[in-house]
Order: sequence, then C-alpha cells, then structure tokens
Amino acid sequence: MPIRVNLDRVLVERRMSLTELADRVGVTIANLSILKTGKARAIRFSTLEALCRELECQPGDLLRFDASPADGDEDAFELDDG
Amino acid sequence: MRALGPGSVASLLKIALDCAYAVLVLAIAGIVLAALGLLLVMPFVQGSQHLITLDGHKQSISVIFHRWPALEALLVAAGLYVGALGVIVNRLRHVFRTLTQGDPFRPENVARLRVVGLGLIALEALGYLVRLTVVWLAPESGDHVKFNISLSGWFAILAVFVLAEVFREGARLRSDAELTI
Repeated sequence: MPIRVNLDRVLVERRMSLTELADRVGVTIANLSILKTGKARAIRFSTLEALCRELECQPGDLLRFDASPADGDEDAFELDDG
Repeated sequence: MRALGPGSVASLLKIALDCAYAVLVLAIAGIVLAALGLLLVMPFVQGSQHLITLDGHKQSISVIFHRWPALEALLVAAGLYVGALGVIVNRLRHVFRTLTQGDPFRPENVARLRVVGLGLIALEALGYLVRLTVVWLAPESGDHVKFNISLSGWFAILAVFVLAEVFREGARLRSDAELTI
C-alpha cells in the first residue's frame, strides 16, 4: 500500500512511547503496532483525530503517500485480488 | 433459538454431522472388509451369476448380472460413493464447527465449501457412472435405469460454489475490519 505511516518519527519527536500513546488515545498497543508497522488496511477518522490531538500534529504529519513499491506490497495486492 | 454460536441450531447440526460421519466411517470399513472378503472368495465364485436387487425411487427391480465383475464393480462404486459422502460430511463438520464458535467467515471455510461442491459433482457423476455400469453389466435392466439430469442436484452444486464466494467476501471484509485501526 503506497500510504506510509510516520508514527515512529512523530513519536520520537514528541519523546513519547507507544504505550503512553496507547493509554492516551484509548487504542490497544497491538493495534498501534499494526498502524506503526504499516500493516493496517484503514484508519478511522476518530482514531486519526485522537492521534492528532494527543501528538499535537496534523494528519499529514502521520501519513505520507509513497508510490514506490515496498516489502509486503505483493501480499496486499494478492489479498485484494482474492 | 439462535442460528450461530454455542447451543444454537448450528451446534445441533454439527452433532448430527458428527453422527453421520461416524456412520460413514463404519460403512467405509464395512465396504473394505467386504471387498477383502470378496477377494478371498473370488476364486471359488468365478463364472457364477449374482442376483442383485436395485432399489429405485419408485420400484425395486431384480436383475441377474451375467458378467463376472458385477459385485466387485458395485463394491467399488459403493466405496467411491461413501468416500465422497464422507469427504463432504467431514468438510461440513469443520464448517459447522466454526459456525458453532460464532465465527463463520474464516478463510478456510472457502476451501471447505469448494471441496463440498466438488464432492457433490463427484456424487452426481458417480450416479451416472453407476447407471451406465448397471446397463453394461445387465442389459435387461436398461428399461428401468433412468438417465435424467437432476436439476435440484446441480442447483445445489452451483449454490454451494456461490456460497463459497460469499464466504470469501465475508472473510475479506472481516480481515479488513480487523486491520482497521
């Protein structure tokens, strides 16, 4: 999927741990890990809103469009094609 | 009464399928034993005629098979039929286990339903093959053996394949929902 998640970088900039963010946002660490590693298929506006509020950033700071292929994209297309 | 989950209609059907599967396993064992017994007895019955009664939908007919491997062919046909039925029931058991757990849209169920569809095709094909064999072995039974195409049977086969695709879509949607944060 060409949408990259920059949660790692934003967390480092805010000097915040994933556990702390999970507590503040009300999302499990497991789900935040899925988001952070780029395995998530979609993100709810409510989750994005909570992340932006707690990290004091814009959605564009967390998400980035990158058209170049990356590891794991083949699996994603395979799943999409059924 | 609920349709899915523990104590539901699905769980009752699962128990029924478990019982049917046990009966089919016993039937397969019986057929194998009969085949082995026949192999032992075969040298002493060569050339004899076998009197077989065929139970049709409306009538029962008795024919004498003039060709030697009649009983063997019928045992093989019965073994294939019960085997295909066993595969179908076994896969349905697994599908109904997931229904009993309240989690039907698992990717494995797609393959299971496809196997059920293929098994039903095998049963239909076997039915035609058995009728052809009976006519070949006992030409006088030709008037009694029907070669009608079972519309309900083929409809059920197509419905199972469509259901498999429904389960595939359900599994995909579930996967999407799980990976939506």
